[in-house]
This record gives sequence, C-alpha cells and structure tokens, in this order.
Amino acid sequence: MIRFLTRRILVGVMTLIVISVIVFGLFFAVPSSPAKVMCGKNCDAASIAAVERRLEIDQPIVEQYTKFMKGIFVGRTYAPGSDFEVRCDAPCLGFSFRNSEPVTDILKRTIPVTLSIVAGAAVLWLLIGVSLGMISALRKGTLFDKIAIGVSLVGASMQVFFFGLILLFLLVYTTGLLPFPSYTPITEDPVAWATGLILPWVTLGFLNSAIYARLSRAQMLETLSEDYVRTARAKGLPLRRVYTKHALRAAITPIVTIAGLDIGASLGGTFITETIFGLRGLGKETVEAVGFLNLPIVVATVLLAAVFIVVANLIVDVLYAVIDPRVRLS
Amino acid sequence: MRFKGGALVVGALAVALTAAGCSETTNDDGGGGTTENKTQTGSISYEAADNAGPAKPVDGAQKGGTITIMQVADFEHLDPARNYVNVQQLTGGLIYRSLNGYIEDGSGKMLLVGDLATNPGTDVNKDCKVWEFKLRDGLKYEDGSPITSKDVAYGIARTFADELNEGPHYIQSWLYPGGAYNATYKGPYNGGAATPEGIETPDDKTIRFNFKDPHCDMPYAAALPTTSPVPQAKDTKGQYDLRPFSSGPYKVKTYTRDNVLELERNTNWDPNTDPIRNAYPDGFKFTFGLEAQQIAERLVADAPADQASMTWTDTPPAVLPRTTQPGVAERVAKGPTQYVWYLGVNNQRIKDINIRKALYYGLDRDAALKAIGGTSAGTPASTLMSPTTAGFQAFDVYNAPATGDPAKVKEILGSTTVPPLVLAHSNTPLRTAQAEAIRAGLAKSGFQVTLKPIEATSYYDEVGRKNNPYDLYLHGWGSDWPTGSTIIPPLYDGREIVEEGNNNLAYFNEPSINAEIDRIKGLPAAEADAAWTALDKRIMTEFLPEIPAYYDATHVLYGSKVGNAFLSDAFGALQVNKVYVKQ
Repeated sequence: MIRFLTRRILVGVMTLIVISVIVFGLFFAVPSSPAKVMCGKNCDAASIAAVERRLEIDQPIVEQYTKFMKGIFVGRTYAPGSDFEVRCDAPCLGFSFRNSEPVTDILKRTIPVTLSIVAGAAVLWLLIGVSLGMISALRKGTLFDKIAIGVSLVGASMQVFFFGLILLFLLVYTTGLLPFPSYTPITEDPVAWATGLILPWVTLGFLNSAIYARLSRAQMLETLSEDYVRTARAKGLPLRRVYTKHALRAAITPIVTIAGLDIGASLGGTFITETIFGLRGLGKETVEAVGFLNLPIVVATVLLAAVFIVVANLIVDVLYAVIDPRVRLS
Repeated sequence: MRFKGGALVVGALAVALTAAGCSETTNDDGGGGTTENKTQTGSISYEAADNAGPAKPVDGAQKGGTITIMQVADFEHLDPARNYVNVQQLTGGLIYRSLNGYIEDGSGKMLLVGDLATNPGTDVNKDCKVWEFKLRDGLKYEDGSPITSKDVAYGIARTFADELNEGPHYIQSWLYPGGAYNATYKGPYNGGAATPEGIETPDDKTIRFNFKDPHCDMPYAAALPTTSPVPQAKDTKGQYDLRPFSSGPYKVKTYTRDNVLELERNTNWDPNTDPIRNAYPDGFKFTFGLEAQQIAERLVADAPADQASMTWTDTPPAVLPRTTQPGVAERVAKGPTQYVWYLGVNNQRIKDINIRKALYYGLDRDAALKAIGGTSAGTPASTLMSPTTAGFQAFDVYNAPATGDPAKVKEILGSTTVPPLVLAHSNTPLRTAQAEAIRAGLAKSGFQVTLKPIEATSYYDEVGRKNNPYDLYLHGWGSDWPTGSTIIPPLYDGREIVEEGNNNLAYFNEPSINAEIDRIKGLPAAEADAAWTALDKRIMTEFLPEIPAYYDATHVLYGSKVGNAFLSDAFGALQVNKVYVKQ
C-alpha cells in the first residue's frame, strides 16, 4: 500500500512538473506582452520595459520558471531593493500586479466557491443519479424505469448554459422564488451559503445525475446478468443481500472511477456554471486571467486544476481496492 | 483616448465649454438623432455662487440607503495616479477630490468649477503658462488631518513613477515637454524629489504650475484624478490601488478584488466645502463578476433586493426589446458618449482620395450598428468629433445614406480599379460581427474586402505600427475632456507619427493641417472651440483621411428605488454624485 502510494505520488509530482513547464512555455510564446496589456494608453517602449522588469518577464524563461518553482517553497520578493518591493510568502504561486495581491490570496478566495458548488452538486448527482439508475435496473421495464430513463435522456442531452438560464428565468427573474445566486462562506452563514447555491447545485446535479443514472443502470444490469449473481440467487440468498452485497459492489466500481475524475475536473473550474450564476470561482478567475494575460493566475490555476485531477485519481485508485476486494494495491 | 481590448477604457469628459470667464457654448444635439434630445451646454465658471459648497440640493432627494452598482469586471485601478477609465473616475470621485470638477444636473448644462480649489484656476500672466490654484478652507482627509497643496503636488509627483504610469499624462508632459514625460523625473520614489520641477507650493493653500508652453486647457486637465491629493505618509505605492486615502465623501470599507467594493461615509468630509457632490446615500456597494445579461435581466425584473441597484454596463441586445415595456422604460438612461468609431483608412496604402470617398459612400453604417445592438449602441456619424464636444456643429459633407450608396460609389470610382482591401478588426464577437457587416456592405458596392481578425490584446499594437499591412480598420476614440484639443491633434497631426504605438491610424500627414493645429492650440479656449469644429469640417471636405462610422451611445438600466439617475455628460455614464435611494 505504502509503496503504491509513494509511486503514485511521485508520478503525480512528475505530471505536475511537466504541466508547469508546458504552461510556462505556452505563455512565453504568446504574441502580446502582458506589460502592454497592463500599460496605459500613452505607453511608450520605456514604460513597457519598466513594467516588464516589475513583472520579471524580461528575464529568460528558464530563469522565470526557476524563480517560480523556488517561490513555491521559500517565497519570493519582487522588485527587491526598490520602493515597490513586494514580498510573496511561501507557498508563493506568483504575484498578480493587476490585482495587487499574491495569487495564493486569490486562490483562497476562489477555491471555496468552486468547492462549494462542486460538493453540493456532487452529492446531488451521486445520490439521485446512482439511486435512480440502480432502482431502474432492478425494476427494468416498469413505468418507473421508463420515466427515469426518459428524464435522464432529457437531462443528458441538455447543456448547463441552457438549463441554468431556464432555471434563472423561471425561479429568479420571473417569479422571484429564489434570490440570484451568491456565495456566502459556510462558516459565516450556512443558510445563506445553501440558499445562494441552490440553483448551481440543482443545475449541475440534475444534468450530471442524468448521466450517472444511465451509467448506473447499465452497470447494474450487466452485473445482474453475471453468473455469480445467478449462483447467489440459486443458493437462496435473500434478494436484498444479493443486490447490495454482490451486485451493487461490483457495479459501482467503474462509477467511482468516473465520479472521481468528474469531481476532480469540476474542482479545476466549473467555468460555465460559475459564469451563468455570477459566482467567482476558480474557473471564472482562470478564464478572465487568460483574457488579461494575467500569467501568474493562469499558471497557478492550471497547476491547481492538475493537482485536483491527480489527487482525484489517487483517491479513486485507493477506493477501488476498498470497494472491490479483487483489486490489490501493489 | 481609445477603447482598449474591446472594452471601454478611458477617463473622459465630454460636452461643451469654453475657458476664461464664464463664456458659454451651446451644442444642439445634431449627431444624427441621438436618443436624448437635450441641448448640451457647458462652461468654465468663475462665479462665486457656482464655486461655493454645499452642492445645490436635488428636489425630493433623501439621505440614507445604499446604492448597489452591478458590474461585469472589477476596476483596473482606483489609485488616482493610475485612474484613466470613465467609470473608475466616477467611482474615484466618491473617494477623492481633484483641483477641479464638473457640476451637472441632468439638463445638459455642465459647469467646470473648482473642487478642492476655490475656482477653476487663475491664469496668472494671461498667457496660459502659469496657473495658480488656491485650496478651500476646511478640507480634511478621512482621519481628520488637513488637506494641503503639498499633498496635491505629491499626488502629481507619484504619477511620474513607472510603476504607476497608467493614468493620463497631460500635466506631466506639460511640465517636462519634449520627449517622454518621465524621462528625467521618475517620481518621489527611490530617492526622487517629492515635487516635480515647475510645481510650487508657497504655502499649504496654494499650488502653482509653471509651464514652458501655453496650456489654456489647464482647467480641464486639473479636473483629472492626476491632481488628487495623496499624503506622503499614507502612500502605500502599489497597494494604494486597493485603498486610496479618502478626501471625498466616502471611504473604502471593504475591497475584495474582483468581488466587491464597499464604500461608507467619510465623516470628515464637509459638504460645505464641496459644490459638486450631494452624497445622499450612506454607502455604495460595487459587485463585480456578473455577466451583462444577468445584470440587465435583474434590473428589468426589479426584485426588491435589486431596486436600489444600477449599472454602467450597456444593456445587451437580447434584453433591449424588454426595456421598452411599461415599468422598465422609465428606468432606462440612454444617450451619446464622447466616443466616435471610425472606419480607419491607411493613407499610406490608399492614397487616392476618390477611393476614400467611395468607401465613405460604400459604408453601411446601419448594418455596422445593427451588428452591435442598433440605435442603442450609436448613431451614424458624419464628423470626426463627437457631438459632445465643445462648439460642435453638425455637418454632413457627403450626405451618404445610412445604408450606403452603391450607385454613388460606382459614379465616383468611374474607371478606377480598387485593389483588394484588407479590413483588420479586433477578434471579439462584437467587432467580428461588425466587421462582417461592413465587409458585406462594401461588397455590395463592388469592393473586394478580406477580414483580418487580430487578437484583442494586441489589436492596437498591430494597427498602430506605421508600416502595418492593413488597408482598413475599425477604431474608436474619445476625448479626455470636451474640446477638440484631445481629438484632432492626437488623431490627425502627422508630425506625431512614429514607428510604433500611433494614435494617428490614418497615417495622415498634411503640413497645412499641422500648421492649423498649432495655430488653434495657441488660441484662447473660447475661440478654439469653433476653430476645432472648422478644422474638422476642412479635414473632412478636403482630405477625408478616414471615415467616421458612428457616434457611440450608452443604454443602461437602473432600479426603481434609484432617484435622480441621469447620464453624466462629463463621463458618458450614469453619475453618482447626485443619486439617492428612494425611501
């Protein structure tokens, strides 16, 4: 187990290093200089050069990259020795001169938003989606099954930006039944936190639960047709025990894999959901940063998204072993 | 000033005025049927009554409540040294004051008066070279300490720093003419002097500017945030952006970048010292990160939580039809801004004026506007200067129909063969749609036009390069204050053309026009207004370097509990000095 974890963590770290190099390389190649974007209307060559010095993007890419990586572990000082010296403490993921604040502060602000959206939505889509799928499989061909599959087909065919806008129009703009979504930290006011996020939860939850319902149903049906399930039933085991102990455990393994990847990817930024509901999470922050060539934020958020995926994969692999005794971590 | 990256970026002032004394210019709104038909008048006022606080009360206005301003994006900068965008300047004006400012009442009448200063500035030697401002009595910062002329000088000094260079540079380049404005003086940091050369503060109430050349526009330049006071002890340099020290009616309560900015009352601001601001609300709350559509939908819906809200974001085309219904229509503010959009013509490549005239008639202004929202986005233009400019007179030298005139194009061109043309545009959805509409219109007149999309962030760099390979390009320009002096010289003085970073995108260089620009710059402002208008007409008639496409307009919504909401002529956006919350 420990060897497995160590190996996976090392692979994860290598992946992150490769991604960080690619991101740095990509943005070094962009035709516009962030200094020009940030510089004023009457910006001349000397002013642009001064801004580039301040952003430290006048240095060779290798040096920039080295400083960035070093900053993560020991912090970093920008414009040292000048009146405009800025200290960015470890773990320093860069300093956004556009926002006049360290990138880590921006992440501290945006991660809880995305985390709240994804956590609530994931609970919904896993609870509703997997339950619906399992029940449909057990009641295959019944009216319940047909309705559940019909609804899930509709859900799976819809897009967040369409369904979300419809909900906004019906529940907020027209009837005023719900307030416009907003984010309040759960530690400040749990009720306001939940009320403000209901719409994104329902939107993401419904659309994803539709996919999970179809997936769970197919998996369960396949498992139910396995020989060992038939054997268990033939041996006279109670149905409930056959379904929960034998069939469900096997059927759910691939769903855990996909759920892990989905949650990991969503944590990297649910840009469309955040945009539709005016919530400033990681996704919206990243996309806007790309527009402004705010490189420190782009690099940090891309890396963070990669971390989420790597960690989610690791958790899934461990869960695999817990759920399915046939799998051994070695 | 220009639009940056497809978004409105500018500080600016518009409308009419004259200088010296209280002479007045009147502009009829002749910009082709702008949505509000008020007559705009303006002046620089030295009248004691206009320059004395408190601000004239607004009928029915009550104190209290909080106005929420819903915005798509956070401000780029609130530091007065870096503040060059109109809505940033409106917001900045709540937190800090400048030497001068504008009084507006929504009727179109605008007065430039002293803000911190007792009047809009004294031209000491009557040659526009030495300007003196006296500060009012009783001016205080948010901590109760007095505001001094040395703080104004220090505020100007810091605008020379490379690190704070995003604001306007008029006064700076007047103090250090010839070459870059901060080539020799780089601000008070890293051992630099606390005051730039040419600025004197003989006592705590007086500040004097000594220019080498005449600058009769100084009262307007002094209304920019450049002249806002910053006490040296409170200068947090790069971090000042997040919390400017208040000299105005409000101070920063909380500011979380990209999320929310909350302003609360500065109890040390004395309304008796301020002829410009009424400051009725107890606070302002700016929320950032919403989409334009969301803002418009919420303001149309007018739910109780949003009734004291307003926005500076233009209503998107999809929501426009619903803004005419009862209950909403009376909550719309619409009108012209100081911007004009041009179909720029690269005169280095298209030298034949007949081709430029043919392009004038071939341009389908109607389609270009429909592509970005129709009449709420603007009205067809026939002049180089905006209708909001002092001394503006509507004229139309060519009388082309708004949809273009293919027959006239053929008549003008005769046997002339026009080579295939490349039209460059910023690669944003809006500008792409507009460029396609223009291309289609020109094609109807027989022009062969290829579109060249350029990344928004580098668009003006590309077309601002002297030997760029494009024939046509879309570009916008707005004045920094409402006279022709910040429109005609930057756009059409050929001596300003350099290798890169040009504003003269027509690359038009005509010695007789350059000489006339010099002559007008030396005129008293009262005479200059008419002279700029005459020069506009002459350039259009004799040279037609580029093609005015449309006068920009704004269309915004506000909630039912926002009182006295009207567009500021000075900033082309909803004003905040005289709004109130209906109780």
